Amino acid sequence: MTSAISVSGLSKQYRSRFGRSVVNALGGLSLEVEPGEIFGLLGPNGAGKTTAVKILLGLTYATSGTASIFGIPVGRPESRRRVGYLPEGHRFPGYLTARATLSVFGRMSGMASAELERRTPELLERVRLSDWADVRVKKFSKGMVQRLGLAAALVHDPEVLLLDEPTDGVDPVGRREIRDLLRQEAERGRTILLNSHLLSEVEQTCGRVAILRQGRVVRTGRIEELTRREARYRMVAEPIDDPLVEAFRATGAAVERVNGHMILSVRDVAHVNLLVDRLRSEGRNLKELTPDRSTLEDVFVDLVRTGSESEDPSGKVN
Amino acid sequence: MKAFAASVEDVFREASARWTLAAYFVLSSLFILIFAFAVNLDIVNGALAGAKLFGRSVDLPGRRVDLDRLVLGFESGFSAFLYLVGTFLAIFATAHLVPRLQEKGTIDLYLSRPVGRIPLLLSRYAAGLLLAAANLLYLIGSIWAIVIWKTKVVHLRFLFGGGVILFAIAALLAFAFLVGVVTSSTGVSIMSTYGVFFFSVLLAGHERIAAAVSKQWQADFVHALYWIFPKTAELGRAVVAFVSAGEGPARLQQSLTWLPFATTAAFGLACLGSASYLFRRKDF
Repeated sequence: MTSAISVSGLSKQYRSRFGRSVVNALGGLSLEVEPGEIFGLLGPNGAGKTTAVKILLGLTYATSGTASIFGIPVGRPESRRRVGYLPEGHRFPGYLTARATLSVFGRMSGMASAELERRTPELLERVRLSDWADVRVKKFSKGMVQRLGLAAALVHDPEVLLLDEPTDGVDPVGRREIRDLLRQEAERGRTILLNSHLLSEVEQTCGRVAILRQGRVVRTGRIEELTRREARYRMVAEPIDDPLVEAFRATGAAVERVNGHMILSVRDVAHVNLLVDRLRSEGRNLKELTPDRSTLEDVFVDLVRTGSESEDPSGKVN
Repeated sequence: MKAFAASVEDVFREASARWTLAAYFVLSSLFILIFAFAVNLDIVNGALAGAKLFGRSVDLPGRRVDLDRLVLGFESGFSAFLYLVGTFLAIFATAHLVPRLQEKGTIDLYLSRPVGRIPLLLSRYAAGLLLAAANLLYLIGSIWAIVIWKTKVVHLRFLFGGGVILFAIAALLAFAFLVGVVTSSTGVSIMSTYGVFFFSVLLAGHERIAAAVSKQWQADFVHALYWIFPKTAELGRAVVAFVSAGEGPARLQQSLTWLPFATTAAFGLACLGSASYLFRRKDF
């Protein structure tokens, strides 16, 4: 099956006006995003996220490497026919109304007037702007402009959505609505590439992520894989006391007591089963046993702070 | 084609919303009103009334002039004024089209659509020319109508002279677009285009300038500049010569040749081609 987004060895160098200095914005980025995925692109400022998205849209040209959308090389206008884009810090012409905005950008995407007339009210309803349909954009709040941007990205019913900070400036209720809307689009088989600094947002929305640093992929995978801590479990039992902790430690487990539960670092699954057996043999109750997870933010900060030793040598995401 | 039309429509929406279109037409209306007021002065009314009574000729100091020729002379002279005003207003009203498009946060919205960069740029250019043409039609058409109303003399050439003015605007707008693509600045686009207009007027005297310089290469350089730059002075004369329909001085009629048109068209095409090339290659 053709990947929705395919990027191979993409690099981008920016030169100063007289070519004296060179900045590497991307250094050999490779990734594949499958149809129907919600994929998160993470990284600190200057990591190359926006550059990557701009190359996918033909806004910026790659220095080397290739990129395609559904097999069509980026740079060809046809590749954008199936793409909806919400840029960061976008500025819709303030003189247009919400309805006119969708009309102009819908027709620029090749939509027929009849199709636009059918789709415009439906989209404005989805982003809660129906009452503002004929008000000029310059009167809109930041959140409203962002919701209109989402509607404009969706107007031609694209198969791929590239979203740069889609919840920027949106209130918590609006954020949830946007998340729900993105999930609905994913359920319809749409592919979404989400570029965001809000890691909790990404954690709640994306299936897979790639973390970029200095233009390279340093970690990729499903959120559960990235946030799982190897051989660490959270155990809630009754009672938890010093003899129990000592008994566990005697097996070689590292035990940490935290707010009425224990964090156990064990060798393997057999080891954790041994601890459970020991607990039961002493007549104690096991109330909860779950793999301990870190947050995506923990993973992100660790990766960004640590050096290149954790770097994915291939830079390839699959 | 839909994308092209949408882009053109967007330019007109922008022009009307940003008061550009309104200011453009208000200024034009002001010229028309001044003209209408001038032709209603007692002295003009008196002369025209006399002409109607005495066989469509007007008494001027020392001679008697046929009304048709008088109107033709007036229209020829006024077309030079319209050439200047029409060109300047058009550049002022349309030079922002590329810099505004290239603003951060705006260009992404347009280029992320399935439309090529060159068609996008050319759609803005076409929209700018349409805007200028609409205003020229309004300005020249109104004055033409006032002249007919007052004198009953109909000279279609005065109306068609607008085509020559639009041709000059097309070449200068191409230059404004080139500067806009390179600098992303409306102010620089306007100033440099006006600069080219006046510099080209100076270059119309290239023979005399070349004769005044001391070295041959300097003379060659002046001649080269003359052939490279648009022929704004010659086109102005061509407008007058065209409108006067052979009635003006012989030297004026000789200026109505294809050469200024051809070299100005080459200048415009080179500018538009360069603007398209640079716009297509630019990283946003």
